[in-house]
This record gives sequence, structure tokens and C-alpha cells, in this order.
Amino acid sequence: MPVTFTFGEWFSARTIIGQTLADLGDEYPNLWTVTPDIGMTLVEFREKFPDRFIDVGLAEQAAVGVAAGLAYEGNIPVVSGMLPFLSMRTVEQIRSDVCYPNLPVKIIGTHGGLVGNGGSTHYAVEDLSLMCSLTNMTVTSIGDPLMVGEILRQSMKMTGPIYIRLGVGKSDQAIYEPGTHDITIGKGIVAREGSDVTLFAHGTTVAQALEAADALEKDGHSVRVVDMFTLKPIDADLIEKCAKETGGRFVVVEDHLAYGGLASRIADVVVDRGIHLTAFERLGIPQVFAGFGSDEELRDKHGYGLSATVAATQRVIAAKG
Amino acid sequence: MGPTNTANAEQRHSVAELEELAFELRSKLLYLCGTYEGAVHIGGDLSVADILIALYHYGMAVDPTNIVNPKRDRFILSKGHAAVCMYIAMAMRGFFEFDDIVNTYGQLDSAFGMHPCKVQLPGVEASTGSLGHGLPIGVGMAKSARQRNESHRVFVLMGDGETGEGSVWEGAMAARSSELGNVVAIIDRNRQLMTSHAEERVALEPYPDKWAAFGWNVVMVDGHDMSSLVNALDNLPPASSDRPTVLICETIKGKGVDFMERNLAWHAGSLGQEDLAKAMASLESTRASKGAN
Ligand SMILES: Cc1ncc(C[n+]2csc(CCOP(=O)(O)OP(=O)(O)O)c2C)c(N)n1
Repeated sequence: MPVTFTFGEWFSARTIIGQTLADLGDEYPNLWTVTPDIGMTLVEFREKFPDRFIDVGLAEQAAVGVAAGLAYEGNIPVVSGMLPFLSMRTVEQIRSDVCYPNLPVKIIGTHGGLVGNGGSTHYAVEDLSLMCSLTNMTVTSIGDPLMVGEILRQSMKMTGPIYIRLGVGKSDQAIYEPGTHDITIGKGIVAREGSDVTLFAHGTTVAQALEAADALEKDGHSVRVVDMFTLKPIDADLIEKCAKETGGRFVVVEDHLAYGGLASRIADVVVDRGIHLTAFERLGIPQVFAGFGSDEELRDKHGYGLSATVAATQRVIAAKG
Repeated sequence: MGPTNTANAEQRHSVAELEELAFELRSKLLYLCGTYEGAVHIGGDLSVADILIALYHYGMAVDPTNIVNPKRDRFILSKGHAAVCMYIAMAMRGFFEFDDIVNTYGQLDSAFGMHPCKVQLPGVEASTGSLGHGLPIGVGMAKSARQRNESHRVFVLMGDGETGEGSVWEGAMAARSSELGNVVAIIDRNRQLMTSHAEERVALEPYPDKWAAFGWNVVMVDGHDMSSLVNALDNLPPASSDRPTVLICETIKGKGVDFMERNLAWHAGSLGQEDLAKAMASLESTRASKGAN
């Protein structure tokens, strides 16, 4: 179902996932959905294709195992759930049942980052680190709610597994007018041009990075924002290009552990390719169990909110070359 | 017979008193659900309200004045999403102030939030929220008690949907293997998961047989009838016995509020002021009709 684009308008990624899967079910008669009792987004699919929908109940490990079995038989299973459980409870099933035989299982879910105020059992903050370490796994983190449909579409053609991470996914701001940006799994998106510094983000922090860039523009700074929505495989060429074009000045902001996520992926590229950087700062979740609070409060408390992003970017711009 | 432990010897409420406490607990839950702007897992809170009153105000030896009293019974809220129901039941027993729960619930740095954390809130015995973890933790606690010749029990409260998790059955097998009669699992058998009714998509039946097949002592309880709960707690086999016990408590998700009962839409939600008044009226009317019997 086409949506009319208004920048900054709020959309439910969950609704878009539901609609996209219901559409794709027509196109791909071997598309299945599997859920461990988190099937709210799958209602339309379930009603259209009841024989290709499985709710295993509270049994995340079985959900992934069942998906692997479906995939062995030539089907395309999408497992949908809450990522704290879907990334950690099942990590061995994902590794040995899905990644090892390199099956086209898609794992998509919500609650990536300190979102939803559920407390520490309900935040997926290590998930990208875990998933990036798995052989054959493609790892994405989506901020723009309209884009998730496109990612699901592209994932249908993949021969191996993919992990798709969202925040709460109930209401997020549209960022990219459909058709205006090249959205391709494996390629970073330059969400905003700029030449003084590159601000890298993924998922829910992309909108925040754009806001920070706007604020800094008022002080005459030209901030590039890169939505590195694919963490694995990482777009190393874009990282190298940004280093050249923005004076080797990088800031990374992410709703994930500051070590093990995107910042670490970028640092690996920088070291491996011998890229010269002038300054580098990473903002993300420290090694703490974060406790309760709204998404904004937790980001501010843990040092990766909007004001911290602006301040870090200013420091990196000011760093001596 | 009653609990042999002495940590809560002064708490021997009558069934009528316990029923009053359960009403108070439900009223307080609804008040929070009506005033807090975020979602509260009200359906699964209301289904365990009577169970938590029966445990904290009757069956369990607890000691709010010394939360590390080694003689206390241990309680694990494995269905951690019913945290606020436990917080309030504990507050009513003297562990915390109800006002602190209401005034800080879900706020930054609050000890009280959606799922319980032992570090943030001492008095809670285990940090939970991811379902299926409580029973194995309880087995560890119970093993330790056996090794140290301690006579307390370990109670683990789970949702029936939660017992779809394989780890529950690994724990069930471990409890039986270790002959842990000091483990008491309590199932909130409300026959609802988050998105479906039991048997609609997930086959939990034959439910009691599953536990029996794992070698457990199975007791069927009406989870909204205080006499039934008290009777079950009074007649638990001795903690020194060799078979773990499961109390399968038949309950109703959303119990006490007509528009929430058995309604999947009320797994979690928030009541506005208007719906709060409606919910309270419904709760009052169930009490009135009960009193008339
Ligand atoms: C491992 C895990 N998976 C999923 C969830 C999300 N979740 C919270 S409550 C719930 C339904 C639980 O059903 P049940 O155990 O029957 O509890 P009740 O109906 O009493 O709320 C789900 C799926 C979770 N907290 N933990």
C-alpha cells in the first residue's frame, strides 16, 4: 500500500511491516511468518495466509528452529518478535541452525536499544554485537519507518540470513522520501551532505543525528549524516570516502553498547584500511544495566542524547588536525 | 498445619481478611493503571492478585523488617510483567510505601518499573522479565537450602503461556532429579498468552498431566477463591519431602473488571480517568455480589 511522504511525519513501522509481508505473501508463495506470541504485526498476513503462519507461543528457540526447518525445505521464513529475546534466547539456534547452513531466514523485531521503558530485560543493547559476530549473517538497524518495507522486499532475494532491528517501531519520523535515496542493503545512506564532520548513526539515532546537524548548521557547521543501517557487511568504501571528504572527523551515535556496535565496526575499517582520522568520538550505551525511564531520559542519562551528540560533534570539529 | 517457618508468625489472616486485602490490591492496581501514562500489564496483574495476597499475607514466611532473614521463604516472580502487582502486595505487607510506587513508577531512576530488578529494589528476590527464567533460578536456591539444611521453601510464580519456554521444563526436570520438595511452582492458569487464547494456537493441554509426567506433585487450585488458595498453602507437603509441588491456579486474566476479563486487548494498557471510574465501578460490583452470596 503506497504511503504519501511528508518529511517528519510519524509512521508505525509495525504497520508497514504488516502490510509489506501481507503483500509479499502474494508474490512469494513460499513466504512464511513465524512468531513467539508477538504476532501483532502479522494479523493481516495471518488472515490472508493462515496456512503459512505459525505462532509457537512463548518459545523463541523453537521459533528460530522451526524457521530453519521451513527454510531447509525451500521456504522463506520471517521470524518476528521482540529482539531482546529473539537475539539472545535464540543465539545458538541462529548461529547453528540458520547461519551455519546459510538459510534465508529473516529475523525482524522491535525493542532494539534503550526503548520502551521495560527495564533491562527488555532492552536489546548487545544484539548487534552478537549478530555481527555470526558468519553469514547480514545485520541491519532501521530508523526510517517507510524504509523497513523496502528492506524486507530486498531481503526476499537474499540466499542467507538477515537480522532487521527496529526501536519500539510504533511511531517514528519519516526521513527519506521514497525514491530519493539509494536504499540498498550493504550501502550506507548519506542522509545529509556536509564537509566538516561525519556523524554516523543507525536506527533510532538517525533522526537525532539529523536534528543535531540542523542545530550545528545554525553555528555555521557543515555536518554530514550517514545512516549506516547495514552494520554487516559494512560499507567500508563510504567510510573511507567520508574520512577524506570531512577532514577525518567522525562521530558515531547509536542506541547500542558503545563498544561492539557500529562504532566498533567503523573503528575496525579505519584500522584495517589504515585510514587517517583527525578525531573520533563514539556515543552509545555504557556497560550498565540502564534501569527505567523514557527513551529520551535514558539517552540523556547515558550520554548519547541530542545535546551530547551536538557537544561531541562540536569537539570533533574543533579538534586540532 | 500451615507454614512451619516463624518469619511471619504474626500474619494469620482469616479468609475474609485476605479477600479484603485482595480487593485493596486490585483497587490500587487500577488506580495506578488509571494515573500512569504508560502501559501497565493489568490483565496478568489482576489474574495473580489473589495469589500474591495469599502468598505475601498468609502462606509465605516473609520478613519486611529483615529482608535477608535466612529463614524467609524465597519468592520469584517469573512472570516479571506482573511486577507492579507484586510491588503493591509487598507494600501492603510493609516492604515499601505504596505512595513511592505511585509517585515514581516507571520514572527515571525509579526502583519501581515494568519488570522487577533485585539491584534497584532490594526485597525482590530475583531480577526477572524475560519469561522462562524463574524456575531454574528457584531450583538453584532450593538446592542451596538443602545443602545448608535450611527449611524454607522457594515459590516460583509463572504464567501458563510462559511455560511454553523449554527452560521451564529443564528446571522442572532438575527439581525432580534433585528431589526438591522445597520447590513450589505456582501457575497462573489464565488460559491466555499475549496474542491468543490457550489452545487457539498453542496446545498447553493436557496441562496437569505434563507436570505429573515430570514427576511433580500436582494440586489444582481455584486461583480466585481465597479458601482454595489457603487450603493449598496449608497442605503443602513438607519442604523436606522429595517431590516438588505445582499449584495450578485456575484464573481469569483481567479478573474483577468486566471489560478486561478474558479480553486480549487488556494484556497491557492504560486506563484514562473515565475508564478508571468504570473499572472501579465494575470491581465494586463484583465485591457487592460476592458479599450477597
Ligand atoms: C522470553 C520472553 N518472550 C516474550 C516476552 C513478551 N511477553 C511478555 S508477557 C507475554 C505473554 C505471557 O503470557 P503468560 O505467561 O500466560 O502471562 P499472562 O497471560 O499471565 O500475562 C509475552 C509474550 C517476554 N517478556 N519474555
